[in-house]
Parts: sequence; structure tokens; C-alpha cells
Amino acid sequence: MTARSLGRSALWLALAAVLLLLYLPLVPPFLFSVGVGGPTAAGEAWTLKWYGALAGNPVLVAAAGTSLAVAAVTAVAAPALALLAAMAVRELRMPRAVLMLVLLPLFISGVSMGLATALFLRQLDLAPSLASICLVHTLWALPFATLIILTTMAGFDPVYLEAAYTAGATRWRAFRDVEFPLIRPGVLGAASFSLILSFNETVRTALVQGPLNTVQTYIWSTYLQVGLSPTLYALMSLLILLTVLLLVLSAVRRRAPQSSSGTRSAGSQPTTTSMAPSPSS
Amino acid sequence: MRISSQLVASLSRRALLAFPILFVTVFLIVPLALAGAISFWQRVGFRVRPAFRLDAYIDFFTGVRLFVLERGLVVAAEVTLVSLLVAYPIAYALCFWMRRSTARLVLVLFTLPFLVNYIIRTFSWSWLLSRTGPVNAMLIAAGIVDAPLDWLLYSDFAVMLGLVTSYMPFMIFPIYLALAGLDRRLIEASWLLGANRVRTFLRITLPLSMSGVFAAIVFGFAGAFGDSAVPIILGGTGYQLMGNAITSTLDVLNYPLAAAMSTIVVVVMLALLACWYVAFDLQAFLGKILRWRF
Repeated sequence: MTARSLGRSALWLALAAVLLLLYLPLVPPFLFSVGVGGPTAAGEAWTLKWYGALAGNPVLVAAAGTSLAVAAVTAVAAPALALLAAMAVRELRMPRAVLMLVLLPLFISGVSMGLATALFLRQLDLAPSLASICLVHTLWALPFATLIILTTMAGFDPVYLEAAYTAGATRWRAFRDVEFPLIRPGVLGAASFSLILSFNETVRTALVQGPLNTVQTYIWSTYLQVGLSPTLYALMSLLILLTVLLLVLSAVRRRAPQSSSGTRSAGSQPTTTSMAPSPSS
Repeated sequence: MRISSQLVASLSRRALLAFPILFVTVFLIVPLALAGAISFWQRVGFRVRPAFRLDAYIDFFTGVRLFVLERGLVVAAEVTLVSLLVAYPIAYALCFWMRRSTARLVLVLFTLPFLVNYIIRTFSWSWLLSRTGPVNAMLIAAGIVDAPLDWLLYSDFAVMLGLVTSYMPFMIFPIYLALAGLDRRLIEASWLLGANRVRTFLRITLPLSMSGVFAAIVFGFAGAFGDSAVPIILGGTGYQLMGNAITSTLDVLNYPLAAAMSTIVVVVMLALLACWYVAFDLQAFLGKILRWRF
């Protein structure tokens, strides 16, 4: 018994060590961005001037605009497609094949996906644009969004749909008033995951961006051309903060999804309200 | 009249459900197939012309780039193996030694660094592992080494570390799913029949979690085999894996060769995926996903 508990504490220690190894790389950008330690040390006290310098860079401001636009489109398009895909997995005749197809982007490496899309656009004589960036981001986010929505859907009992049909609801009405309110936490989770994935994507974007830049491809191309700088580290720090913030927000939302999903369909579907906790239970 | 309107409704519903399938087919399958086709096309200056030529493949398999493929396969296999050896015990501990709510929280902890752009994380490694970086400083301060270690950065070790920390976190998920979906009565039955823990693990738990393990292998291998940023940042000048070999081929506008190399990567991945598809019942795995709540 003591040997086993010793083994367990060893495993907890290993788990902590792995987490440390994964979180360690998130720290240096913050140090360099305020001028502490590392290659930019030179003995001066810490400063926030590099953050101020960010706003004065027109290329970067334009890149931030592109990133925001792409992230917004991805956060809507990927969950919408994923919702349809999840329903297709449930209702079409070949769930295995459908799921495999939708999960495929997960297993195609970034370079291959970007290159294939770039060649595809070239062959159609389409110039790379905002649309092509949105396209690869949506493809990349689709498998993650689908998995999240599928897991939420699993908490939904199809009996409620049948009840709605028996009560005379059309399929659309049953979906809108019964199913969607119940799986909404999953759809929102998928949306925030897609947003985060879009904001952190470089390799696929770099091959289809054309004249545009996202914040991530700006960092990558600046690194390749002139190397890293404190300004770039400030930018990375902001991106890390944003990612952490978005993930924490969506995690908090998922902890307490009942408050939002129960109230919407009061009245005509009393069962919905009472069933609301089920997807998150 | 009513029947026909029902028919229209049912058809439009099917069309709507088929939309994501169509989307992936048109914007992923067709482009990948096109890249496969272009790898056989003829290169005319900086453009390509439809033809059937093996030039790109002959160029690849007889040139120095063949070494890149070999190294890519070896590195990807090593990274996948190491990641698996880390991810499996973690998934096991999460599943069997923790309450579900705690496990979910720890899974979120593993998700976070995975979501932060891995290129940014890789930049950090290039400082942490450098000659004047904190790792060497600590090793010297602890008296373990006398001089800074050179092989920490711009080496196979650095590339391995970068790739493992990039792709390992996500490999925990499918293994955890497989373990969480496992019928625990089977494990209890094994104990009741007198098998010890090791034997139970080897004969019951491990075989039943293989679908998740294989999904993790395919994901990890896909990431490590096709990665293009880690070898550039941590491998140093001239260190090439398939991913950055493809982008450097693109830089000189050799589209058929880049398409050929990309197709080789895709075919390797599809072969692995096909093995998974044939060997494991995805629907059973799907059933486990569906029972699992994020």
C-alpha cells in the first residue's frame, strides 16, 4: 500500500512537472516585453514603452484588423457548420464516414492544407484575400467545434424532440425552441474555441494570405526577415493574455450555462426550463 | 400537395445537413487532390502546365531531400512515441485517480498552452535552451556541468522538445476519452478472477483503450511530420523536416516539387488514418465521445 501511494505521489509530481514544462514557455515573452532579462537586458529598469510602440505601427494595426475580422467570421462559420455536421452525424446514414470527413482537417498538416488551398485558388485564378484566410481558418476550427458540439448534444435526450413533434411542432420549430436552447452552451463553447484557434493560427494563413497580414503572420514574417524584438515580444504577450482571457471566460460560461439557456423558451415549452441543466450535468 | 411540400422540406433538410460534407469536400479534398495532380504537372518557368511527368518525384527521391523524408519519419516517430509515453499515464491518472470535475479542470489546464500559438512558445524555448539561457545557467549553478551545453539548442533534442510540447497536450484527449468510456466492470471482473494490477492493465485496460491511443498517434504523428516552424526556430540553419522543406521549395517557386512533397506527407497521414478507420470501430469510439462531457 505504501509503495502504491509512493507511486502515486511520484505520478502527481510528474504531472506537475509536465504542466510546468508546458507553461514555462508562456513566461519569457512577458519578461522581454518589459525589458527584463534576456537579450534586451542592458541593465535598464523595466518599461512599458514597447507596448506603446505597437499602436504606432500601421502594418500591425491593419494586421490586427484582419485578425479580428477573420476571427469573427470563423467564430460564426465554424460552429454553424459544426452544428450541421453534428446533426448529419446523428441523422444521415453513414455517421462514421461523415465524422471522419469532418475531422479530417485535424490530421492534415498545416503546410499541406495551406499549400493545397493556395494551389486551388491559383488554379481558379482567384487572388488570395480575406475570404481565403477565413476559409482555411474555418476548415481548421471545424473538427474542434464539431467535437465540442457532439459532446453537448450527447446530453440531449431525443425524446424531447419526439415530444415536440407529437405536439405538432415542425422540425425547424422543434430545433429552434427545444433542441437549440439546450445545446447552446456547446455551440458557444465551439464558437470561443474557434475564435481562439483562429487568433493563434500561423502556418496555414501564411500560405494563403496574399498581401494581407494577420497578427500571427506578422510576427512570423518579421522573425524570418529581421528577427525578434521587444515590440514583437509585447505583441506576443498581448496575444497570450488574450488567449488565456478568452479560454477562462468560456470555461466560466460553461460552468454556469443554465442561467442563459433556461429562460429563453419560457411559456410554450415548460419542459425546456426544467431540462436545462442536463447538457452540463 | 401536402406530400410534395413535405418532400421539399425533407429534401432541403438533407441539403442543409449535407452542406458541411460538401464544404470539406470542395475546400479540402478537392484542393488536396489537385495538389496531388499538380505534382505530376510540367514546370514551365514559374508556372505549371497539365501533363503527366514524374520529374518532381524523381527529383525528390534521387536528391538530398530524400534524407529529409527519412529524418522526418524518424523524428515524427520518436516524437509520437515520447508524447505517448507522457500522455498515456496522464490520461490514466486523470481518468482513474481523479473525480470527473477535477479531471475536467486539469484537462482545461492542458488545453490552454496547446491553444497559445505554438510558434510563440517555440520562440521561448529558443531562449530557454540557449547558451546563455536559464537552463544552462541553472545547470552550471548546480554544478552539474562546467560549461554551457551546446546540444540544448539547434539540435535534434531541441526539435524533439519543441514538437513534443506542441503536440503532446492534445494527445491526452483521445486517450482520456477511450479510458473514460471503458466499462469498469471488466476491470473489476479481472480483479475478481485473480489477475493482479499489471496483468489487468495489460490484458484489459490497455487493449480497450487502443482506439484512443491510435487516434492520439495519428494526431501526434501528423503534427510532428508536417511541422514547419519548430525545425526553423529550434533546428538551426539547414535543419529540415518535411514541413519547412516544402515551404523552402515554395520560396523558389517549384510548385510541382512542393506539391509532390506535400502529397507524400498527406498520403502517409491518410494511410495511418485508413489503418485507424479499418482497425477500430469509430462508431464505438464516437459513442464514447458522446457519453463524455467536456
